[in-house]
Amino acid sequence: MIGCYDFCGHYEWTFEWLRQHGGDSLVNKFWEEAIGGDSQRHASDLIKEKGFAGMAAYWAHTLAEEGAGYVATKNPGAFRIDMHDCPSKGFLLRNHLEQYHDYCDHCIGWIGPMMKEAGFHVHHEHNHCGQCWWEFRKITDPTPASEAGTLAGENDVRLQTDWSSQAKPKDKFDAATSVQEKK
Amino acid sequence: MIHPLPYQDQKPLGAADFYFAINATFRFIRKTLGEEALKTYWSDLGRTYMAPVTQQWKHGGLSAIAEYWQAFFAAEPGAEVEVNVVERGEGPSSQMSLGVDSKRLAVILEVRTCPAIRHLRGNGRDIDPGFCQHCYYVSEAAALPAGFTVRVQGGNGSCRQTFLPREQAEDPQDLHDIREAS
Repeated sequence: MIGCYDFCGHYEWTFEWLRQHGGDSLVNKFWEEAIGGDSQRHASDLIKEKGFAGMAAYWAHTLAEEGAGYVATKNPGAFRIDMHDCPSKGFLLRNHLEQYHDYCDHCIGWIGPMMKEAGFHVHHEHNHCGQCWWEFRKITDPTPASEAGTLAGENDVRLQTDWSSQAKPKDKFDAATSVQEKK
Repeated sequence: MIHPLPYQDQKPLGAADFYFAINATFRFIRKTLGEEALKTYWSDLGRTYMAPVTQQWKHGGLSAIAEYWQAFFAAEPGAEVEVNVVERGEGPSSQMSLGVDSKRLAVILEVRTCPAIRHLRGNGRDIDPGFCQHCYYVSEAAALPAGFTVRVQGGNGSCRQTFLPREQAEDPQDLHDIREAS
């Protein structure tokens, strides 16, 4: 049996297996259809029905269950997450597991299309080391991503000393609804 | 001492909602690449991702297999599983005195409550009908290079999985012995 305890390990391994059998397009399809459209349909239902409140409810449950170190910030026009210690990427780093070329892409790979369907888009950045931030806004809202500290105050992950100290370049998405919109 | 689980997390239990993704992955691969590709996926996973497990089983024999499954199911939320070591001339025993392997003939997992089926069913998810077959294909691929084989009987919420030395297996796995999940 494969289990949920080391799920992130075989999940990441699966991305590379799929890439070898159908390229990155198959991986993207997997994130959108299997994860966003099937596995996480409870998230989709909540967010379509309740908008920002649905986002807060979904991530409060799932990030608590996964043991994440994060701060969620509610704002009248946006919902923001600052991920200081991603449990998923952290598991991979601690266990030296890296098969696929960019594990972190999986989140926007399923969240982006789901948000588009619910009427939202995403400002997002990840540093490949277990830290990232997200701002969800209505798809009609042209407001750009906030400056560091303006929405989340001192909890903004961009203000942490190790946010930019990593060797790998960060990946950024502006008002995106898919992984293909990486800057 | 080597931990029986080669990949370790900081929390003692996995997040049960990940079973949704495991189930959805099987369904996706079956739909997009076909049934045979799904079996290949399971076997590749057992042979490569689980290679560190295979190494532990190769060096530690049935004792290592028993230790692995004890630790594995202890970390799966909602699992009710008894791990028995069958010794020569004895029935199943749950009293494992790990360390002496020469008399042991098999490790039997009595899966009273499969944690994945339980969680999927409890949340009203459509379960991939071939879900329970993954246990055979993954474990068989992990066990073979270590000199062992597995036979699965039952499924759809509870089953028996028997790990034994390859030379002691009389017949191949009959896939009809593994029930469809629903």
